[in-house]
Amino acid sequence: MISPQVMIRLTDVNICFYIQENGFISLKDYFLNIGKYAFLKKRFVLNDLNLEVFKGECIGLIGKNGCGKSTLLRTLSGIIEPESGKIELFGRVAPLLGLGVGLERELTGRENIKLLCSLMGMGKKETNNLLQPIIEFSEIGEAIDWQVKRYSTGMMSRLSFSIAIMKNPEILLIDEVLSVGDIGFQRKCLKKVREIMLAGATVIFVSHDFEEIKKMCNRAVLVDEGKIVCIGTVDEVGLKYQALFDEKN
Amino acid sequence: MALTGINKAGFYNAVFSLAIKTIKLRYKNSVLGVFWSMLNPLFFMVIIYIVFGQVNSMERFALYALSGLIFWNFISGAILQVLTSFIDNADILKSINLHPLSFPLSAMLAAIFNLLLSLIPFTIVLFFLDYQLHISIIALFPYLFITAIFVAGLGMLLGTINVYFRDIQLLWSTITPAFFYFTPIAYSIDLVPERFHWLVRLNPFYHFIDAVHKIFYDSRFPTFTSFCIMSFYALFTFSLGYFVFKQLRKGFISNI
Repeated sequence: MISPQVMIRLTDVNICFYIQENGFISLKDYFLNIGKYAFLKKRFVLNDLNLEVFKGECIGLIGKNGCGKSTLLRTLSGIIEPESGKIELFGRVAPLLGLGVGLERELTGRENIKLLCSLMGMGKKETNNLLQPIIEFSEIGEAIDWQVKRYSTGMMSRLSFSIAIMKNPEILLIDEVLSVGDIGFQRKCLKKVREIMLAGATVIFVSHDFEEIKKMCNRAVLVDEGKIVCIGTVDEVGLKYQALFDEKN
Repeated sequence: MALTGINKAGFYNAVFSLAIKTIKLRYKNSVLGVFWSMLNPLFFMVIIYIVFGQVNSMERFALYALSGLIFWNFISGAILQVLTSFIDNADILKSINLHPLSFPLSAMLAAIFNLLLSLIPFTIVLFFLDYQLHISIIALFPYLFITAIFVAGLGMLLGTINVYFRDIQLLWSTITPAFFYFTPIAYSIDLVPERFHWLVRLNPFYHFIDAVHKIFYDSRFPTFTSFCIMSFYALFTFSLGYFVFKQLRKGFISNI
C-alpha cells in the first residue's frame, strides 16, 4: 500500500499572541532595560499542534468562536510565525482569509485583481494571463470596471474567491467566506474546490457551520481551548463538537 | 523560516503595485489630480510672500520660499505616509503573507514619485522666479537618496510605535507645524540671532532644507559637511527605526 503524500505537517507547533496593554510607561521601561522587561505580554493561543494533511484531502477545522481557527490559518499562510515547532508545507499556498480583504474600495474590480495578484507574489505576465479567467469565473460581468465601493458584499466575495482559486493553489486555506455568495455561486465554488482537489490540491476549510463542513470535507479537526481535541471523520468530530455545547446546559 | 514562497522579485513587484495603488488613490476623485502637489506649495508661497515678504529684505524671496516649501512638503508628508503605512494596510497585513516592510517602502516610493511629478511644473516656475541654472542641480540625486533613507527611517520608527499607540500619528501631526516654523524654510537663518544658531543646527530638518536652498537659491553644491551631517541623520534614524521594528514586529498582528 502506498502511503498518501503529506502536504501539510505540523509538529509540536505553539502559537502566541503578543499583547501590549500597559501603555507608554511600559514602552519607556522596555527601552531603558532592554531584555529584562517584556513590553509585549506573551499569550499562548494554540499549543502542541500536531497534524498531518494529505494530498487531495479536504479537512475541516471546527470549533467555537475565538478558539484560534483563523489564527491557525494565518500561521499556515505565513502571516504569523509560530513561537516554536515546525510547519512544513509542500506546495503553493493560497489563503482566503476573509471577505473582500485587500480589496481597495476606490479602485475598479479589474485594478483590484491586478493589485491582489501582485500582492500574492505573482508576476505581471502571470497576472495578465489570469485576468480573463478570474473575471469569467467571478461572473461579475461589466461591473468588473466599476469601483469596488459600488459592489455588494456578495460581489466582493465573488471577486476575492475567484482570485484565490484561479491562482491554481496546491494548498487552499478558506476561512468562512463561501457562505456569502448566492446559492448559484456557492455551488459553483464548491464544484471548483472539488475540481482542484481532484487535481491533487489540499483544502483546509474553517467554519463553525457543521453542515458546510459535512458537505465539503472527508476529515475534520476540532479545536478547543487552544488545543486540537480530536481528529477524525466528520461525523465523529461533529458529535464531539456538539458535546462541547451540551455539557454546559 | 520561509513558509510560503514569495521571492525577491515578487516582493519588489508587490511593493511597486502598492506604491502605484497609493498614487492612484490620492488623486482618484480629484479634478486637478497631480497638480495639487504643485498647487499646495504655490499657494503657500503666495501667502508667505505676502506675509513675510514685507519684513524680509531677501532678494528673490519667492524662489527661496518655494523651493523650501516644496521639499518641506515632501519630507513632512512622506514621514506621515510612511508612519501610517502599517495601520493603513492593516487589512492586507492580516490576510496576505507579505513582508511588513513592503508598506513603508511603497509609501516612500509613492512620495518620491509624487515629488518628481511636482518637480516638472516646479522647474518651469523656477525660471520665472529667476533661478540661475547650474550644474549643482545634479546634487539633487544624492540628496534625494539620503533624504529618502532619513524619511523612511524616521517613518519606520514612529510607524512601528504607532501600531501600539495611535497617539504617535496625532503627536506627529501636531508637532509638524512647529517644525515648520522652527526650521528656516521660508525665512533665512540670518534672521535668527547668532546665539541661537546652534539650536537651529540641532534640528535635522534644517540641514535637509538648507541643502535645497543651496541647490536652488544659491545655485551651488551643498557643502561636504552638509552631506555628512545629512548622511549621519539618515543612517541614525534608519538603524534605530529598523532596530525598533525588528523588536516589535512580532506583536503587529495581535495589536494592529
